[in-house]
Amino acid sequence: MSSHGSRTGQQNGSHGLIRRIFSVQESGLVIVIAVMVIALTLLGGTKPKTRIVEIDSAASITVFDEAGEGHVAGTLPDRSISRIEVTVDGQTTIYAGSVGYRASGGVRRVTIQETVNKFLDLDNIVLVLKDASFIAVMAVGMTAVIILAGIDLSVGSIYALAGVLGAMALHELGPGTNGFVAVLAGLGVCGLVGLICGLANGAMVVGLRVHPFVITLGMMAALRGLTIIIPQQVYGEQSIAGFPEGFTRGFFKAEIAGVYPVPVIIMAIVAIGGWFVLSRTVIGRRVFAIGGNETAAGYAGIPVGRVKIIVYTVMGALAGLSACMSIGYYGSAETGAGNAYELRVIAAAVIGGASLMGGRGSALGAVLGAVIIELIGNAMIIFDIDQSWNQVVMGAAIVVAVVVDQAKRRLSAR
Amino acid sequence: MTETGDARDVILLTASGISKRFGSTQALADVSVSFRRGEVHALMGENGAGKSTLGKVIAGLHKQDSGEVSINGSVLRPGSIDDAFAAGIRIVHQELAQCPNLTVAENLCLHNLPRTRWGTVDRAAMAERAARLVHPIEPSIDVEAELGSLSPGHRQICQIAASLDDEAKPGAEAARVVVFDEPTSSLSVSETDRLLEIIRGLARDGLTIVYVSHRMGEIFAVCDRVSVLRDGRFVQTSTVADISEADLVEQMIGRRLETPAGRLRSPGGEAAALRSLATGDQQVSHQIKSDEPSLVVRDIRSPRKLTGVSVSVKPGEVVGIGGLVGSGRSELLDAIFGIDKQATGVVSVGGRVVKTGQPRAMIAARVGYVPEDRRLQGLFFDLGIDENTVMPYMADLAGIGGVRSGSGESALVADRLEAFQIKAASPRAHPGSLSGGNQQKVLIARWMHDRSQVLLLDEPTRGIDVGTKAEIYRLIHAAADRGVAILLVSSEMPELLALSDRVLVMADGRITGELTGDEMTQKNILTLATNELAVTGQ
Repeated sequence: MSSHGSRTGQQNGSHGLIRRIFSVQESGLVIVIAVMVIALTLLGGTKPKTRIVEIDSAASITVFDEAGEGHVAGTLPDRSISRIEVTVDGQTTIYAGSVGYRASGGVRRVTIQETVNKFLDLDNIVLVLKDASFIAVMAVGMTAVIILAGIDLSVGSIYALAGVLGAMALHELGPGTNGFVAVLAGLGVCGLVGLICGLANGAMVVGLRVHPFVITLGMMAALRGLTIIIPQQVYGEQSIAGFPEGFTRGFFKAEIAGVYPVPVIIMAIVAIGGWFVLSRTVIGRRVFAIGGNETAAGYAGIPVGRVKIIVYTVMGALAGLSACMSIGYYGSAETGAGNAYELRVIAAAVIGGASLMGGRGSALGAVLGAVIIELIGNAMIIFDIDQSWNQVVMGAAIVVAVVVDQAKRRLSAR
Repeated sequence: MTETGDARDVILLTASGISKRFGSTQALADVSVSFRRGEVHALMGENGAGKSTLGKVIAGLHKQDSGEVSINGSVLRPGSIDDAFAAGIRIVHQELAQCPNLTVAENLCLHNLPRTRWGTVDRAAMAERAARLVHPIEPSIDVEAELGSLSPGHRQICQIAASLDDEAKPGAEAARVVVFDEPTSSLSVSETDRLLEIIRGLARDGLTIVYVSHRMGEIFAVCDRVSVLRDGRFVQTSTVADISEADLVEQMIGRRLETPAGRLRSPGGEAAALRSLATGDQQVSHQIKSDEPSLVVRDIRSPRKLTGVSVSVKPGEVVGIGGLVGSGRSELLDAIFGIDKQATGVVSVGGRVVKTGQPRAMIAARVGYVPEDRRLQGLFFDLGIDENTVMPYMADLAGIGGVRSGSGESALVADRLEAFQIKAASPRAHPGSLSGGNQQKVLIARWMHDRSQVLLLDEPTRGIDVGTKAEIYRLIHAAADRGVAILLVSSEMPELLALSDRVLVMADGRITGELTGDEMTQKNILTLATNELAVTGQ
């Protein structure tokens, strides 16, 4: 950096570093997530969770009582069990906490009853992140669209159409297809369908000079119609399944270490990619420039129309990717999928700091926004509140996010 | 011209000792003017002389710092548009609120829509009342038409009708004074003629007209008396019949720079002072590097008010473009740079024809453009100073796949900040945190560097302090010395004279004359600038 940069760096010192961390746009979201996680962990309560452990002949199982005294499996201690150790090939797995134990069929098959925290449980966390990933991938694209001072209401419909057409392609390939080919075909069809829809959005917004709200509202309805018509005509059904195993369990729902992390990994890649493109590439900065001051962008020689078309096209392609992740995970595509997703995706982007006035937004923020939305949904389940309240809370969250954004703008304008 | 009978010599409206300051600018200093009943009285002066401000003080739109406005002897509350309205003072000006999506009748009755007994809008009564207001002035206007579908001239007539509506506020006096602020700036020649006719008619009916304008032809066509302001000070009130155009120009620019080579020979002259401020000596012309022009513009035409403009600028030459606001100066630069997509004509840079209508092609041909309005057209307030500076070149500096070059960008930014002495907390600070002068420097720094071959500068020192102004002058001179061809638009005549090697003057979208050497005087510029198309009625 220049002499300017180093000078200010020295002046601020370590104090400046702390301030910089806290002034980063996303830090507020991280704090919100941390508060929600703590609240859900502390207030959410516990639930019983049953785990079945298969024990082969080489395994040994030991049950410990409260005093920490070990008992050979099969002979239950008088006092409450504090932990169970299962040793297989020298590898010991410990089940701790409040543990119940029941041996059946000799000691070959052990059912362990654990009491786990309703929220802070690996399965639940992965579930929340998986749900967030479908939204987050689209929210990264939506952030770019919103930074342009645009909007895309058709994402839910693109998601559904790409999912259905991708599912038809996979269905035609048949269950026995090679996994690699299947994944490539799925990604190719879903991505291409999304890309074409996005390109159509962008071309119409730029070419017809109509507000993107109108164009994408029209596309939202038209694409949803196509999504219902096409499988109806071809199969006479609203749901398509029967994909190659390599596409579902082989990739998008691959089990690694007891969880299904692929959607979460894709979300992380898209988030980092979005951050990189928006902040470290020319087109990314042009997006900010156009959204902040379109007139000045023209005077600075920025090809405004071309940048807009590219952004809407990428948005469409990301909706296609999200659809592919979803059908791969669930193993089927529904014509009603992605209904009202535009609301969740826009909400994620806006909560993540994207300003509907244009010129501001962050890809990482959008991903964190998607996580917050799914945490709200998860809280509804944990506290056993009617799912319909989810909509109410999410609606309120959007309004609050926009009000906070405008307050921030007014403060910084002074 | 209106007859001036005995009864019309009565003074109706007086502005006495009016002073008004905007920030660091003294817009009006102790100005006193009185207006007679039934006269058309022009307020004249060059850009920034204070004529418009005085009109707005009279109408209560601006609150004066000192002095008073009185009508028929009763003093008005300063800055109260309600008070002025109640006393019968009306204003017709460009920024007056109108809703183009509503009908003429709705616009005219917006303050008090007539209702039927069911509480719905009484459209018949509304149309009838609107017709009563508009048709005496212009019978051909359809009051049921959407205002936005009307021509600018008819829209203006609707504004005049609205300003004459005595029912707009209950208890108000009937209109006695109407202030027109540059009423013809957006009108065609025939619409202007019609407007002037209407104004004469209003004066004949006994209304006092305060006519703010800088257009010579209109002053002589419609006005009885003219008061000239210069730099916020009152100069003189004259009867139009007794004064020549040359005398008026002289009053507008003052005597101090009047000798033919005034800007060179009078050491106390403002132009000379500015020049010495900028260069440290009295050297006038820049070293022209070559006779092959860097920029040649041939026959630029545009629906945005350009009717065939040709210009050429040699390397190292500064060509000034003078003219009044609305003469097409900024439109010319927009057309050259390709912002105006409808413009036709040929632009060649360095001997090669460049595709018109594409700023990118111009940037690739090493043309830079500092537009007039840095807030609206120039800066990105959500981005840092660094990105604001390199935005047009980011793609050139970037590596494969458009990945930004951090080192390339920061080297360029550091170099620009250094050369322009931009005072910022950090290169990443947003332009909003800078002073106006430093914001302007960022915008000029964007374009003024080794790559640029041609610079288009529109009001490069608008709204900034004297010290920064001098710095920018120095930078412009330095760029010219490096061989950059510069086309400079400025409303400040001393600035134009101090920086330019020759001056082209524009009026009504065309060039009305070129001034070189000793002809370069404020007087000559103003004479050419007010030389608009002939106005009938003369």
